[in-house]
Amino acid sequence: MRALIDVPLMLLVTYTMGFFMYGFYRQFMARIQNRRGPPIWQNLYDNLKFFSKSETLSHGPMFFLGPMIMMAGAVTTVLFIPMLKDTAWLQGFSASGNLILVMFLMVVGPLGNALAVGASGNPFGVMGVTRGLTRLMGLEVPFFLGLALIMVQYETVSISAIMAAQPTLAEWTLVTNPLIFLVVLLPFIASLNASPFDVVGAPVEVYSGPRVEFGGRLLGILMTQNMMLSMAKYVLVVALFMGGASNLLELFVKVFVLFMLTASISAVFPRLRTEQAVDFFWRIPLGLGVVAVILTLWI
Amino acid sequence: MRLFLRVLSLMVVVTPAVTWFAWDGALVWPLFGGATLSFDVTPLASFFLLLLAMGAPLAALPMLRKEEPDWQLALFALLVLGMQGLLLAQDLVGFFIGWEIMTWSSWLLIVRSPRTDAGTAASYILFNLSAAFLLLAGLLGVYSLTGSFAIQALVDLTLAQGLVLVLLFGAAFLIKIGTLPLHLWIPRSYDQAPEPVTVVLSALVSKMGVYGLLLMLILFPEMPGRWFGDWLNGPLSGYGLAWIGVITSIVATFKAIAQDDMKRLLAYSSIGQLGYVTTAIGVGGALGISGALYHALVHTLVSLLLFISFAGIIAQTGQRRFNDLGELIYRMPISFFGVLIGIIALAGMPPLPGFASKFLIFVALIEAQWILLFAAVILSSAAAFLYCYKLIYAPFLGQANSPEARVAREAPWPYLIPQIILMGMLVGLGMFPGMGTALADPVLAALGLAPLDGPSLGTLATPYGGYDGVTLMLVFGIAFALVTALFYMLRGQLRRAGSRQDLSFAGEVPTPDQPLHYGAGMGRELRRIPLIGWILARSSSGFFSGLAERVERLAEHSSRLYPSQPWRWVQSFVVVFAVLLTWGLVRGGGL
Amino acid sequence: MYHKTGCEGFQCEDQTLGADLAGVRDEQTVVDRLVAWLRQRSLFVLAYGTGCGAIEIRPLMTSRYDAERFGIIGAATPRQADVLVISGYLAIKTLKRVIRSYEQMQEPKYVIALGSCTINGGMYWDSYNTVKQVDHYLPVDLFVNGCMPRPEALIEGFVALQKRIADGEKGGWLRYRENLDWYKANQRRVLGANMLPDDTSAWLQVGGQA
Repeated sequence: MRALIDVPLMLLVTYTMGFFMYGFYRQFMARIQNRRGPPIWQNLYDNLKFFSKSETLSHGPMFFLGPMIMMAGAVTTVLFIPMLKDTAWLQGFSASGNLILVMFLMVVGPLGNALAVGASGNPFGVMGVTRGLTRLMGLEVPFFLGLALIMVQYETVSISAIMAAQPTLAEWTLVTNPLIFLVVLLPFIASLNASPFDVVGAPVEVYSGPRVEFGGRLLGILMTQNMMLSMAKYVLVVALFMGGASNLLELFVKVFVLFMLTASISAVFPRLRTEQAVDFFWRIPLGLGVVAVILTLWI
Repeated sequence: MRLFLRVLSLMVVVTPAVTWFAWDGALVWPLFGGATLSFDVTPLASFFLLLLAMGAPLAALPMLRKEEPDWQLALFALLVLGMQGLLLAQDLVGFFIGWEIMTWSSWLLIVRSPRTDAGTAASYILFNLSAAFLLLAGLLGVYSLTGSFAIQALVDLTLAQGLVLVLLFGAAFLIKIGTLPLHLWIPRSYDQAPEPVTVVLSALVSKMGVYGLLLMLILFPEMPGRWFGDWLNGPLSGYGLAWIGVITSIVATFKAIAQDDMKRLLAYSSIGQLGYVTTAIGVGGALGISGALYHALVHTLVSLLLFISFAGIIAQTGQRRFNDLGELIYRMPISFFGVLIGIIALAGMPPLPGFASKFLIFVALIEAQWILLFAAVILSSAAAFLYCYKLIYAPFLGQANSPEARVAREAPWPYLIPQIILMGMLVGLGMFPGMGTALADPVLAALGLAPLDGPSLGTLATPYGGYDGVTLMLVFGIAFALVTALFYMLRGQLRRAGSRQDLSFAGEVPTPDQPLHYGAGMGRELRRIPLIGWILARSSSGFFSGLAERVERLAEHSSRLYPSQPWRWVQSFVVVFAVLLTWGLVRGGGL
Repeated sequence: MYHKTGCEGFQCEDQTLGADLAGVRDEQTVVDRLVAWLRQRSLFVLAYGTGCGAIEIRPLMTSRYDAERFGIIGAATPRQADVLVISGYLAIKTLKRVIRSYEQMQEPKYVIALGSCTINGGMYWDSYNTVKQVDHYLPVDLFVNGCMPRPEALIEGFVALQKRIADGEKGGWLRYRENLDWYKANQRRVLGANMLPDDTSAWLQVGGQA
């Protein structure tokens, strides 16, 4: 019975956090660029506007189903990440999943999207998807290396157990093993499709890449799932490194702090080309990761 | 006559299933003197017999078509018999006989194809015969040490004896699996073999190498533990094997991405997937072995499914290059779903079982604390997404790029029936991931490891945590249904594009003959990444020709010892002989 | 083919701005009003930089004039866009691309034409390869005159458009649907053999419902 309340609540929380954070991001960028920027609700307006578009173009059944798969993938990912600790609420189905499962679930949605983009027959979209997969190949190596170190440290693959093992600030992974956080941080930014690793959907270089053919309500779905999946990733990193949260306010504050960090990094660096990004991931974060492995396991 | 041959062959093909269900008691066949051939179903053999029992009839279906020649099915039946004998054999002689039957019948299957060129046939038989000779040397070594051919634990070996035997057997099986750099024969022969034969080679024959590697755990029980001790939490003797497996899968994955021929891509992907299995065997332990068995099971199903689907495409269009296909989703929908399920399982995405097996391998690596290996496995696993997308995009999506692709029809039923069965099996196994570990548990018990008893078939449980396949599948399915329903509740109209050329194309109007298909271009820019460019610029045929060149140069050097005057040659011979003689006399052992 | 009725193009500005929309507003349900408000609050702009007008879009979008505070932001492809900004003179060659882009946008969609050249040809009034009145080929919702209009004028235009959308006015895309034959005939007259295929507009003729 609890699931009936939990599921809509978790989706609502991620969606709300999503548009607020991204609304804030646009404000933040505007202030950095010395302008006023849109209201903090702007992302909600944009999203609802797309849902109220009266025409939506489809390139066939697979094109239509792709965004649905993507949304279902995002929803499933959100529901398999526990939001809070020390409580029976907002756990979703996390008892039936684990960290590795969640990491792979995050790829299911993009697969659906890739199928839809392919079905549209637009070469720009496929070009974007290929770049996205290439970037994924680059970022997953250091990202998973960091996560593996966490799993070795806590000897479990369960997110709830990792969260429960960090009750106080002194036991946060961020404090006990800050090197892992450094390893994971930049790949994490890339997995959010944020600058400077946002060449996949670059509007000028590849004509907005995978989204090139999506308009109307389908684009609305893509925006929604993007906001929700991003927030799911933030919640996951908060759970792994910052000890999770016991209530929604704490969760919101921690996600906000992490969001500020990533937004500040995104705001100041120029965009990298795909191969530059991959090469970067395999040199700097992966090198750091190898150092972390040597320091924590071998010595 | 023709019908009789076919029925007979078909009956042979289903024998593994009969054996698997109905085998009881051992069979001993006296050979000569005191030597006997004995056959029995051990737990390990039973697991691989199950793969054979599932795979052989499904792979036989496409061979039943009128267009396929008779000899194909007959030779395939012989091949199945060989593999079955190999699995059932309780002694190394029977094993060797089965191995030889397998090698020669598969070679005949390949060499009779009109597409096979001499180089491919030569490389296939060269590599496989060297595997057989290594095996022969190994089994003679075992006989000389124990006086028996029986497959049993060899204890009390010295390290040197053990190492020599392990290297002999290991090299033989690694050639069969196609580990780098011994994989040279695989891409060419998979590519040039007739389509239904490639299915068998990838799905079944390669698994015999995996069976052999696991058999080594029975032959050399002390190898993981006593020899060399541990590295972190895993056996040091397996660490090297694990790295060999990972490097194989990384290089094969990058090579696969660069291919523009469908079957070659699948061949490299097959090498890469078996690299994971090698890695998992290297890690060992309950999780590692169970991961290896699980991945072997999944790879059997997936490669059956993918190779049969692509055989259907090739049969219907006559095209085998990615660039010459496209947009088949509307013309071959069942094949599309076959390939879709296949690549999801191949890429290891939940909820299909490819994830379950990879999960076991990941957890095994975490348990062993081999994190660098873990990262390397992730690299090849993530790179595999690229070629998986190429597999589904280039033939089925995008724009049709050849006249054949524009008019193709759905593949005939002999191709579709196995696809549908295999899709069902993969989805079922994804929903009940515990089934795979339940199958692997008897093998673990036979190897003296603790089984991974899951609480239910729907759950994959490990000491580090697990996941519930039924919940996962249900959540995803319900979310998908709800999202789609909600979408239709929104106001407004959903309309289909007027033509395939109705694309956002910077205001431009593409014409139908404009090449809009991205099939061949995919993965081309990968070469700009330094590591991948470095890997792709090399090839193992380069390695082998380099080796040949070195050997020749070495021979040149050593030929200086043999100058043109024959008496000098005799002189050096006498000197060497005299030195050896003296050395023997000094040691006092006589000759 | 074409008969002038009442005002035309830029001449209608007074009429459209002064039109009494009270009647329209009364017919709207709460949902309609909410939707209309959301639509005006979030405008994705496909800026078709045809002429010198393209140069005015940059200051408009960046820090100096910051159109994003009105919810106006650039879109990369026509599929995502709500507003097509035709910024300047349209050569006949460009007209084809502009029409294609417009037809690929998803309804509801609006067109803002920038500068004198889109109104009457401007300084290109006697050019052999420039269309004079864009209004003949595409349903322009709003003209911003000047040569070139400054970003302030553009913002004023956008705000006027937002007000009309919020008031529930349907916009030019309905006019395009209803008079498709007339627009297509005009387009065919100037494009001739170079006329674009009808795969993006044929569905309007078979009576696609909004």
